[in-house]
Amino acid sequence: MSESKPPVKKVIPLTVSTAPIEPPPGADPELVSLYQAHKKIYPRSVSGLFSRWRWLLVWLTQIIFYGLPWLEWGQRQAVLFDLEARRFYIFGLVLYPQDFIYLTGILVIAAYSLFLFTAVAGRLWCGYACPQTVYTEMFLWLEKLAEGDRSMRMRRDAAPWTLEKFARKAWKQAMWIALALWTGFTFVGYFTPIQVLAGEFARWDLGSWEIFWSFFYAFATYGNAGFMREQVCKYMCPYARFQSAMFDKDTLVVTYDRERGEPRGARSKKADLSTLGLGSCVDCSLCVQVCPTGIDIRNGLQYECIGCGACIDVCDTVMDKVGYPRGLVKYSTEHALEQHWTKQQTLRHVLRPRVLIYSGILGVVVVAMAISLALRIPFKVDVVRDRGSLARIAEGGKIENVFRIQVMNASEQTQNFHLSVEGLPNLEVASEKDISVESTQSRWVAVRLQLPYEGAPPGSHTIHFKIDAKDLGKSVSEKAVFIVPR
Amino acid sequence: MKQKLMWIAWPSFLMAAVLELLVFAVVDPESLHWFGQPIEMSRQAVYTLGFFVFWLAVSIAGALTMLLAMSPQEVNHPL
Repeated sequence: MSESKPPVKKVIPLTVSTAPIEPPPGADPELVSLYQAHKKIYPRSVSGLFSRWRWLLVWLTQIIFYGLPWLEWGQRQAVLFDLEARRFYIFGLVLYPQDFIYLTGILVIAAYSLFLFTAVAGRLWCGYACPQTVYTEMFLWLEKLAEGDRSMRMRRDAAPWTLEKFARKAWKQAMWIALALWTGFTFVGYFTPIQVLAGEFARWDLGSWEIFWSFFYAFATYGNAGFMREQVCKYMCPYARFQSAMFDKDTLVVTYDRERGEPRGARSKKADLSTLGLGSCVDCSLCVQVCPTGIDIRNGLQYECIGCGACIDVCDTVMDKVGYPRGLVKYSTEHALEQHWTKQQTLRHVLRPRVLIYSGILGVVVVAMAISLALRIPFKVDVVRDRGSLARIAEGGKIENVFRIQVMNASEQTQNFHLSVEGLPNLEVASEKDISVESTQSRWVAVRLQLPYEGAPPGSHTIHFKIDAKDLGKSVSEKAVFIVPR
Repeated sequence: MKQKLMWIAWPSFLMAAVLELLVFAVVDPESLHWFGQPIEMSRQAVYTLGFFVFWLAVSIAGALTMLLAMSPQEVNHPL
């Protein structure tokens, strides 16, 4: 390329034609599909800082996901959401359906974490931790193992079927199915003891619902990570549509530095940039090739961008090769690009009201949940009046009310509970006062309360049952009503 | 068409999962009755059935929304 060549400028025509749009021959003239036909995307593999981060997170999340069900805690699985027994075991903690509030707490924490991350640095969740991304990454890796990288896959897909093509495709499918099945099996292993489930698989005893769900989850993994891929993010994911509500002009997003890059164009390595009139973008199109959703980041921020940073990684390698500074595509904010902020200036704007409010709420919920879990009494008591009779006269002329009390022991040791009652003078527990409940079990007991004749005026009286757990050093008080007949 | 099916099936799948969580956190399948008779199904069977019933019901709602969201042109000139 000579130095005297005039600047190359691409002119994009922006005029709108007023002529009627001709439908393709044979088509219904009224019917114009607004959706582009789906083109298969062949993401090119990439290496670099953000890709390393993604792989680190893939490893981290998947070691936990695949490993956790196998971890033992005492005599049982450490983390088990036992739907059959309606008990959740999380290490030392045993949760009942009555502890639903903690699930709500976890969901609130998850939501606010997502808001916070999104406000600070855009779609971090999508790019690094979303199961859709993580499994797609793993499936792509297997695909590369069997079929090679982007160009090889494209060439092979376009070529006619040969024995080699068939063998490679079959090998890929086998690996995909194996990974999907293992994933489904692991998932169900969180809800039913995984050792039992493994036994059922080993004996090929495929009758239970657990097996059905293993296959169902495996099928979903296979479909989503093997075939749907970016379409899940583009057409199915609600978060992709509303995440922009959490964005502002100080949110870090993957951006192309248009000012520096344009006008783009190919050039010889020896050419002098200042005289060519070209920007830094060499228009190698690698950023488009690596994109898992098949967009061109140079067109600005688009809702399809999952913020994975693959284009940053690949552009940095190109910039290194041509000897330009890195960061033509980089994490930056709208304000930073506009006002040419330095990295420090950009980072200083992270702490803004939106971020502080999200962090504040998140902090409060986390602390509240931690305190509530620490103070949680590991047993529960329900008091129900006996439906048979309101009140009756027992031996000695005493007035008797009968209650049914359920005691749930959420600890992992057998507990002895002592029952007493207060609220009326001389009111006594006439039945067994000591109740023993085995670990993680519950028990209904009938309790008879007796009051001496004329011990209280006729009517209903509020009383309190007090249940002491001696070993736990805790007690629970439950309100009830004692009825004295006229 | 394929896309429309995705739009119906996926959000309703998510909402079915939410419903499953909410409903069965409160309802114990063993305490359910069917026309006065206790249901003779295992908890897993009720959970599974429940999930698909929720999925189906929410899908129908989604499909009806898609139907009503069609433009007059799409209604007047069906494929």
